[in-house]
Amino acid sequence: MDQFGSSLDRLARAYEADPEKRRDLSQDIHFQLWRSFQRYDGRCSLRTWVYRIAHHVATSHVIRERRIFSSLVTLEELETFPDKGGPEAASRRANLDQLSALVQRLKPLDRQVIVCYLEDMDAASIGEITGLSPGNVAVRIHRIKNVLVKWFHEGKNYG
Amino acid sequence: MGDELPRDELKAIWQGQPTGTSTMTMTLIRSKARDLQAKTRRQLLGTVAVPIAAALLYAFGIREFPALEHVLHPLCAFTLAWSLVGLYFLNRGMWSTVMPGDAGLSTGLEFCRGEIERRRYLLRRVLLWSLGPVLLAIGTFILALAMIGTTDRGLFPNGLPFLALVAVWILGYFVMRAREQRELKRELDELIDLEKDHSR
Repeated sequence: MDQFGSSLDRLARAYEADPEKRRDLSQDIHFQLWRSFQRYDGRCSLRTWVYRIAHHVATSHVIRERRIFSSLVTLEELETFPDKGGPEAASRRANLDQLSALVQRLKPLDRQVIVCYLEDMDAASIGEITGLSPGNVAVRIHRIKNVLVKWFHEGKNYG
Repeated sequence: MGDELPRDELKAIWQGQPTGTSTMTMTLIRSKARDLQAKTRRQLLGTVAVPIAAALLYAFGIREFPALEHVLHPLCAFTLAWSLVGLYFLNRGMWSTVMPGDAGLSTGLEFCRGEIERRRYLLRRVLLWSLGPVLLAIGTFILALAMIGTTDRGLFPNGLPFLALVAVWILGYFVMRAREQRELKRELDELIDLEKDHSR
């Protein structure tokens, strides 16, 4: 578990903004992973297994916690968001908060893709975890890159 | 600035964020198991609220409007029976058949679709088995007031503001739930399209 610990913490951040709830989510992920390992039979890589379980727990959390007035958006909708703020201060912390806020607005499946992408996974690995076709993963990654680059250059505020 | 720099920079920002270490100790596992049990108990208690409310209203109606016993008895008994049967169906739909930890062979797409389907199913069940008896109980209460109001002129008009509030609440609840159902249906259709795309 040590090799995935930090990635799983970052994954929890992508799904929960509230620090207390994030700690609970992180523990839930570890708990479910601990339960799941007795079923692991090597049919997929350990990394795929760990990320699938972690995303499943986090997706369940998002669907359970969804609020009627806070709808999540798809990548396509995110691309059309109006600019709500001027250029942000280029501090690393502000950028991380912005990036997290952007990721937390997305629907679970798009969130899975963007988190895997930010964790430096290739399209094949993302496809294996999410179940999306390679073409679809490529299209989504392209969109993500566009949104992120646009955000990075224009200082868009998605919070 | 080229495309590469911000992309790598954002990955660096993401991967460079401070993280804690979560280690699963036996104490923590036991604590999580206890939390899960407590949460389950709370949810089960929550579902008992409607039958209890129906039973209280039944007792109140019979005590306050003895003259209307012939109308209230069958309606209240039906409401109580409906809410009790609803307990079974609500509890059956509330729990996921597969826990996330047991779904390591399912992809994100399959699991997400399953969870959204379950959520939609649960919302429908809540409307039918929880809100249904509540509406019937309120309807019975309004009927009793209206019938009494024909003899006691002041009772029905005095109760109108309350009834209007109840009506607004019910309408608001339906509108919000209908909106959530539509949103879930849209998400489900998107996921089904993606699955079709993958299987082609």
